[in-house]
Amino acid sequence: MPRRLFWPGTLLLLAAVALILLVLHAGRDRSLRNAVMQADPETVLNMPALAPATLARGQVVFAAHCVTCHGLAGKGVAAKGAPDLTDEDHLYGSGLVAEIEQIVLHGIRSGDARGWHLASMPAYGRAKPYAMEPIPPLRPQEIQDMAAYLRSFQGDWADKAAVERGKALYVGKAGCFDCHAQDGSGDSAVGAPNLVDGVWLYGDGSAATIADSIANGHAGSSPAFAKSLSAFDARAVSLYVASLGDASTRKTL
Amino acid sequence: MMHGNPSKCSKADDIWSMGRPGARRSLLLCGAGAIVGLIIAGFGLFTADGTRTSIVPAEDVALVNQVPILMSDYAAQLRALYDVSLSQATMRQKRQVLDDMIREELYVQRGVELGMQADTIEVRQALVGAVEAQAAADATMAVPDESALHAYYEKNRARYADEGQMALDDYVQPVSAAGRAAAAAADLRLSGTAPAVLARHGLRRSAIMTDGEEFIFAARLHLGERLFAVASRMKDGEVSEPVPLPDGIHILVMRHHIAPPPRPFAVVRDRVLQDFVTDQAKTLTAGNERFLRKRADISLQKGYE
Repeated sequence: MPRRLFWPGTLLLLAAVALILLVLHAGRDRSLRNAVMQADPETVLNMPALAPATLARGQVVFAAHCVTCHGLAGKGVAAKGAPDLTDEDHLYGSGLVAEIEQIVLHGIRSGDARGWHLASMPAYGRAKPYAMEPIPPLRPQEIQDMAAYLRSFQGDWADKAAVERGKALYVGKAGCFDCHAQDGSGDSAVGAPNLVDGVWLYGDGSAATIADSIANGHAGSSPAFAKSLSAFDARAVSLYVASLGDASTRKTL
Repeated sequence: MMHGNPSKCSKADDIWSMGRPGARRSLLLCGAGAIVGLIIAGFGLFTADGTRTSIVPAEDVALVNQVPILMSDYAAQLRALYDVSLSQATMRQKRQVLDDMIREELYVQRGVELGMQADTIEVRQALVGAVEAQAAADATMAVPDESALHAYYEKNRARYADEGQMALDDYVQPVSAAGRAAAAAADLRLSGTAPAVLARHGLRRSAIMTDGEEFIFAARLHLGERLFAVASRMKDGEVSEPVPLPDGIHILVMRHHIAPPPRPFAVVRDRVLQDFVTDQAKTLTAGNERFLRKRADISLQKGYE
């Protein structure tokens, strides 16, 4: 090779190698994405060839879009009504990756017609507790009674008469059973939380914060990312969120 | 050896001699650049997200006239109909769901071709809702800054106040005792509401506000506007001036009055967020409507301008 060709040739060779590496990397990345998108979302976490890279990407997406409300560790923030994503208490659905993915894509009360927006917690201390159907408001004492009833599930029976009155309201006038079930176990089909497991979405489970929730209602929301995340990123972050829970209890059906 | 073939060596040297113009060198560099450009362009064209080709992208289960049916929607539909995941579904279940989804897409596309939106009310309503949602998407899908939420809360503090409560007794004298009402009120202030005091002035307790403490909105409903206006200015333990009404002379005794207390931001954040987003969405939707009206050619009948 003539001496004058050495540097141009070397540069050209390096550029060619870099290009080939770039194409190979992109191709590998693409094939990983394709494999993840084609796979059953419930099985990806058990696939060593796909899980690590997908979870790494999911963590990046989580850090960019979810930590503001759910915190870096996904533990949630009670003040924001953002649930703990690491426990087995699922507000919507049962913790399946596909269900998480639907929430990521379409949100909760996000304005996306395909999101979850079936019901919200009425404000029983207001003249018109619920916009979607007529529900009678409760008096302050009735709200205190209801709080006493819910506290009794945590072993607080300080005022037995109030607990009994609260129970009568729960299954009667207030109609709480309609969403939270007769036994207070909640209904993940409408996002009605379990009231008897000691996990509180809002507040600390004290009589005051329970009464506040009953009096003023709640309607937490989660944004829809269908327009801002790629299909792969939505799945990757869903898998990451699913991975935050206890693997031994993860539902796969 | 070099001296054996001096013309070849000098020719190659001449091509890559940067100090001299060389048509062959330019041609070679041009060709190399074109090849590299084509490789990059080809890679971008066939791998970019959203590129539609005859190949069905991995995130879709099918393309119907280039309209994708998303794999995530397909999986959700399998779950909804058969409660199975993608890998657990049988071929029959998969085919059934896919056929149904393709059928729906075909009918939607045909509906658009036929202009069904012109005369089917449900389609029109759905389209209006969808366009409004699309216009508001920037607001509804964004995560607002905490400082913006704080500012919104400060601006609308009253909206996030508690309802407030009051507990009071309403005593009524017959209309015929109108002349003695002021004395009765003064005696109530002095002696309290003991039965003997009530009997002395012919006062009876009315049937309203007998359930104990009530939220302000309920007290307003029970008392009526005239008595509520009086009650809302009263403090704990205060006795009102007599209020003449058609059913008698009313004297209110306020036991407990809590004006609507403000609720801290941390407690109402989710409601603030929702109101903030709703307001933003309304602004965007209104802007979109203004734009649509501006560009539209709307002719009005005489008398409807």
